[in-house]
Amino acid sequence: MKIRDLLSPFTVWKNLFRDPVTIDDPVRQRPGAPRYRGFHKNDVKKCIGCGTCETICQNGAIDMVPVDGISAKDGDSGLRPRIDYGRCCWCALCVDVCMTKSLTMSNDYQWIDRDPDAFRFTPGVDRKKWDDAALGYQRPDDHRLTPEERVHMKELGPDARIGSFIEIVKGYSVEEARKEADRCVACGLCTATCPAHMAIPDYIAAIRDGDYERGLRLLYDTNPLPEVCGRVCTHKCESVCAVRHEGDPVAIRWLKRHIADQVPLDQYRAIVGATEPATGKKVAVVGAGPAGLSAAYYLARMGHAVEIFEALPAAGGMMRYGIPEYRLPYDQLDKDIAFVMGLGVKLTLNTRVGKDIALDDLRKRFDALFISTGLHLGRSTKVPGADHPKVFQSIDLLRRVTLGEEIFCPGEAIVIGGGNVAMDIARTLARLQMRKYGKVGVTLLCLETEDVMPADREEIIESREEGVILRPGYGPTHIETDGDRVTGARFVRCLSVFDENGRFAPRFDTADEIAISGAMVVESIGQGMDLSYLPDDLKNQIVFERGRPKVDRHFRTSVPWLYAGGDIVQGPDVIHGIANGHAAAVGIDRYLREGGTT
Amino acid sequence: MRELYEQLKRLFPLGEYAEQRRDLSFVTVPQEHLRPLLIHLRDRAGFTHLVLLTAVDWLEEGFFQLTYLLNDRAAKRDLGLRVLIPRDGATMEGIHDLWPTAATYQRELREMFGIDFPGSPRVNEEFILEGWTGMPPYRRDFDTKKFSEENFNHRPGRATKDPAKHMKEKLYPDEA
Repeated sequence: MKIRDLLSPFTVWKNLFRDPVTIDDPVRQRPGAPRYRGFHKNDVKKCIGCGTCETICQNGAIDMVPVDGISAKDGDSGLRPRIDYGRCCWCALCVDVCMTKSLTMSNDYQWIDRDPDAFRFTPGVDRKKWDDAALGYQRPDDHRLTPEERVHMKELGPDARIGSFIEIVKGYSVEEARKEADRCVACGLCTATCPAHMAIPDYIAAIRDGDYERGLRLLYDTNPLPEVCGRVCTHKCESVCAVRHEGDPVAIRWLKRHIADQVPLDQYRAIVGATEPATGKKVAVVGAGPAGLSAAYYLARMGHAVEIFEALPAAGGMMRYGIPEYRLPYDQLDKDIAFVMGLGVKLTLNTRVGKDIALDDLRKRFDALFISTGLHLGRSTKVPGADHPKVFQSIDLLRRVTLGEEIFCPGEAIVIGGGNVAMDIARTLARLQMRKYGKVGVTLLCLETEDVMPADREEIIESREEGVILRPGYGPTHIETDGDRVTGARFVRCLSVFDENGRFAPRFDTADEIAISGAMVVESIGQGMDLSYLPDDLKNQIVFERGRPKVDRHFRTSVPWLYAGGDIVQGPDVIHGIANGHAAAVGIDRYLREGGTT
Repeated sequence: MRELYEQLKRLFPLGEYAEQRRDLSFVTVPQEHLRPLLIHLRDRAGFTHLVLLTAVDWLEEGFFQLTYLLNDRAAKRDLGLRVLIPRDGATMEGIHDLWPTAATYQRELREMFGIDFPGSPRVNEEFILEGWTGMPPYRRDFDTKKFSEENFNHRPGRATKDPAKHMKEKLYPDEA
């Protein structure tokens, strides 16, 4: 036996005089660690109700519930997550996946209540004592479950594209599309914002599954022009995509195009399905633009006999005669149109209603009419000199280019306007100048400053890359002419475009004047409609609202058999036209099945 | 710790090296060289303590990654050895004779991942799961959601809404 063994029991006595390691009330005095995963917090103003937290929860602990004072709107479902702490295992997957980073966790984990239902609440809505807790788990900045950057889209470089009208955007490969589709969290917030309410998450899922037949069927449920929309849609869906809060929105438009690109036209019929049995009813469509084609497609599917009357030599409307080929190649537009025609829709071209055939004749021959004649009249700035023959309307020039006509194209041209059509004509002229002179000489001026120019951002970037000079923030005062020549135009700085009531009322600083030289001026400040084909007695029966025919939710005018849609009703936008055409087809079908009287 | 790696590389055929911190690195080791390397590290390089033994399921790639984390107390540094073994019929030689505590980790991996360590003490006895007969729950193809739905009741009165359907109801109920 050693002396140490004898003494050691007494060594513990020294602990009597030390501070205790344990504390009296461990529960009340011990906050969770700084990154502790305690009760949830939700910044309900930041939350968009996308429900990815509910989807990822492996315990089925989260419900998406409506909340007083938060209503559904573009980009926000109005729902908020409600958590059942009887099932939550505090794994924080919901925090890690949260698309806006609104959902976090406090470091608070202590709460006693006798009512088990109290442990089911909506963080951020039902006030809790830990709502302002500074500590707790948050997703670290570099920690993402969904990739932030979209899959790069291959495009022709400026040098390669400026000399031709070849399509700029190359489209995704199957591999790339699947990778991009994987970024979608399938929340479906986009569907409400899409004017056609396309089943976007479902067709993106079809890409993920490599099931292009299902994808195509889903596209055609709401949109018979997928090749077109996959290229030139204004893609409002992407502006509300949940992924955009912490990265690039999912490339919804390119994915739609990818589906249509993958399926050859000869397989469409077998995939999308045949038409319903013939009803014996006949519908005339005036104007073969997106709205007219969409109405024709859905009416034909419902078994009605449809004939489209088109003034120009080919169908497509603005999709063909407005949008340049480098954005929407004609063969892709033709593919979409061919499938509509393949359903038995009759297309009568080179026939202007009101001139080659009277609307009254159509009324006699058909059970219902859908008019979608678009906005084909360019608006003038009406500044002195604007009536000169070398001052053109963009929409006329674009149409003539499509028709294959040679247009006046000097080495220096001035474009007035800041929308996509102005970009279209500026970039078309740039290409023609490049062919003719080997260099670009286009200056584009518009009232708006660059940050509020109505044109798409990529149009602004790409037109600059192609050598177009942009001078945003200037309005024309007069166009300088010399006999039959235009020599230039003068502009003054625009201080503001709209007044405090949001009305168009530009204010100028006349001291800040610039002179731009050019042998042609192209005005591209908006378009108007030409409804002169409507007989006066009919026009008198139609109610107009702010210059547009007033329609009900089925796009019926005040005349029971006359439906209207597209740009003449809703302004210039392909996808709205498609949605209008679809809604009108549903309305016309109902009208015809009910006997076609009321 | 790169010098250590360079030294070890002269003795053993090592794979990838990754330095996570100045005092923490990972090295990939072929399965058959793990034991001699562990013995070398324990007896000659000062890594006397087995901190933990854990696994990662690389489902898509078809293998499990075992990580043997060792600690060198004197030098205050950690070295993790990573071994990739086929996922199908996953079996690994035990190291409980080198560190008796390894037996506990091996028993846990047997239960949670279904990785066998033949000869490891009590390796087939239940560890924390009682009466478990299904797929080992740490395997990535284990459906956690399904398990929780099947085994835990929902409190009555719960209801959820799909965001897209709710928006249609609120914003455009009459449209197609």
